[in-house]
Amino acid sequence: MSLITKRTQQPSPAVFAASPRPQLLRREVGNVALEGLDAYYGASRVLQGVSLGFVSGRATAIIGPSGCGKSTLVRCINRMHEEVPGARAAGKVTLDGVDLYDPRIDIVAVRRSIGMVFQKPNPFPTMSVIDNVTAGLRLAGADRGEIEDRGREALVGAGLWDEVKDRLSSPGTGLSGGQQQRLCIARALAVEPEVLLMDEPCSALDPVATLRIEELIGELKERVTIVIVTHNMQQAARVADTTVFMLDGQLVEVGPTEKLFTNPDDERTEQYVTGKFG
Amino acid sequence: MPETRSQYQDELDQLEASALGGLDLVSAALGRTLEAVEHQDVELAQLVVADDDRIDGRYLEVHQALITLLATQSPVATDLRLISAMLHVLKNVERMGDQCVNVCKLIPLSGNEPPSDQTMVELILRMGAQTKALIGQAKRAFADRDVELAQNLVREDDVVDDLNRECFRLALEIGDDADRREWAMTMLLAARAIERTADNAVDIGEQVAFVVTGLFREFEDASHPNP
Amino acid sequence: MSSESALLRRSEGLRRRNRVNRVVEISSTIAALFAVAVLLIVVGSVLTKGVDALSIHFLTTPTALFGEEGGGISNAIVGTAIVVASAAAMAIPVGLLVAIYTTEFAPSRIAHPVRFVLDVLNGVPTIVTAIFVAGLIVIPQGHQSGFALSVALAIVMLPIVSRTAQEVLALVPSTLKEAAHALGIARWRTTVRVTIPTAAGGLITGALLAIARVAGETAPVIILCSIFGQGNLTDPSQGLATIPFFIFRSSEAPSPSAHTEAWAAALVLIALVLGLNLVARAFYTRSRRRMEG
Repeated sequence: MSLITKRTQQPSPAVFAASPRPQLLRREVGNVALEGLDAYYGASRVLQGVSLGFVSGRATAIIGPSGCGKSTLVRCINRMHEEVPGARAAGKVTLDGVDLYDPRIDIVAVRRSIGMVFQKPNPFPTMSVIDNVTAGLRLAGADRGEIEDRGREALVGAGLWDEVKDRLSSPGTGLSGGQQQRLCIARALAVEPEVLLMDEPCSALDPVATLRIEELIGELKERVTIVIVTHNMQQAARVADTTVFMLDGQLVEVGPTEKLFTNPDDERTEQYVTGKFG
Repeated sequence: MPETRSQYQDELDQLEASALGGLDLVSAALGRTLEAVEHQDVELAQLVVADDDRIDGRYLEVHQALITLLATQSPVATDLRLISAMLHVLKNVERMGDQCVNVCKLIPLSGNEPPSDQTMVELILRMGAQTKALIGQAKRAFADRDVELAQNLVREDDVVDDLNRECFRLALEIGDDADRREWAMTMLLAARAIERTADNAVDIGEQVAFVVTGLFREFEDASHPNP
Repeated sequence: MSSESALLRRSEGLRRRNRVNRVVEISSTIAALFAVAVLLIVVGSVLTKGVDALSIHFLTTPTALFGEEGGGISNAIVGTAIVVASAAAMAIPVGLLVAIYTTEFAPSRIAHPVRFVLDVLNGVPTIVTAIFVAGLIVIPQGHQSGFALSVALAIVMLPIVSRTAQEVLALVPSTLKEAAHALGIARWRTTVRVTIPTAAGGLITGALLAIARVAGETAPVIILCSIFGQGNLTDPSQGLATIPFFIFRSSEAPSPSAHTEAWAAALVLIALVLGLNLVARAFYTRSRRRMEG
């Protein structure tokens, strides 16, 4: 039996009833906290004792050199890390106080509260634009009448509506790269998660498409807590309120973005952001 | 850790050397200015005025290079603070050069008769020497990132300020002769210019603190007297 | 100066290399032409030798009774259709499910042996399969039947369907499945609504290829379904007429017109197989474009 099915205004650690579409909540939901998170691939430990909070209403960027564990970190949040055979995580990950790794929690429900956008846009090739956006709703058995409306809202929210409103039935893969990625964002938003994880969402896109999505993030962060992994430090500087620097599976420094980029506390952070290594 | 961005680092170092080199130019100009004042040497004064173009040129060249660096290298953290500080320092250098020019432009006005008050002249020369020392100290403090040395500039500047007040007092008591009063006013202007030069050196000290700590605080100066 | 001589030095083996290139080019072209020629000869001879007997009458009249002339292959066509359709109905679902199991759900220590077993099954001669089915069904029942033939053909089809399906399912980008999981879609639902539709083209290809392959299998026919009554058109519990059997028997008959009829029936069979292959190709191309897009 799943303890998290859908959100209500006031989250309680017990049963969440299926809710009518929540209006713009004042953001007392969507706070993620990590305590002593370790992650393993088989015997090798890739994350060590990470303790961190993601505050609702903000965008947090995670930066660090290749292999530092940033992607693994976000995948532990929505439990996608477990999809890899032999991978496991230990420690505490909570969403508004609820431990997501509690065995009583339905993993499917976790993923409906925490959405994810990937590096390469991946719309479902056999579905049209509108079917893509509503895939999460349809395949999770949402109420028929609502589906189209929520799909449209999600497209508006992702800044894509005007561009696709005349071709909702055309294949999802027929859009440009930047549009496809915004489609994936709309698809993730349609299920109305509290948190949106973005794993290098712009690295496969051209600069203009990248900037559009960055603007979108600025708008979205009031409704969804955003965590964005990025290789591009300037992007982190532009987009995030808080920045996290990781190295070799450990958290090195976390703080307001301006501070990390003008006067970081840790010498390693200084070295990394000024490009002395990485 | 492998040496990445070494070209960028080299360029930054070179620009810093250039900016601080501007202080050397200013120091030399100040020295010549004081000599011109002491000997009422109009030709030397004109040389200083003409030579200020070199200081301005240095300012423009390094300024442009720094702007380009900002645009192309996206500096952050210490690099960013350093570049910001250097832009300020350049401005200070340029102002200091202009102050020397101001003094030199006064010389023909007061030069055709022997100075009316030797004491005042000596005060001004002492101010100048102290300011020259200040400039040297500011340069060392910046190059070594020595915050304490930078903060000490304030106390050294107090000496200049005291001498300036002396000059003012002397000028008040110079007497009723119109020529002497005119000469005294001119000397006061010169003193003021030198005092401003010293303040610019203190500003450079403030930039040192900014680069090192990331905090910008005004050291005590004319507008922020000691509590 | 020096770069010029370096270029000249490196061009030294040029003439020899050119000759080798030409030889390889020519021999591979000849080989390709040879392969195409073989197909053209086979189809061509079937065409020329059988076209005389091919007619609407031929296609719509049942086979003549023993000794009589002027029959056709309508009952053979129907029989083949029924047998192959039944075999497909048995093999395709099972083959697909096995493929889905091994690619989506099984850990690799189970998936690998299963794949190996299927490959072995693929290599079993059809006559061996036929004898096995004979022992299983025909002997206990005491008579041959279309059903027994279907079973044997299904066993032959299974590895073909399954292996092709496995290849195609493995080609579905894992990023699609990740995206579905990240949306909170359950695993089985992802398989049914995302993975399978994406691979659909390739899955259909595998099925059609398997059908094309078994439509002409003759050894099982001879052992399991060569005795049939004239009156039985559609009942698989008894023997049914089949095209391969018609070809086999007509080619052994003394009269030349029977031989011509054998060629004509072969022509029909080839046409069916060719047709299925072309359709399979079209589906596969469409599916490939989808997954790359």
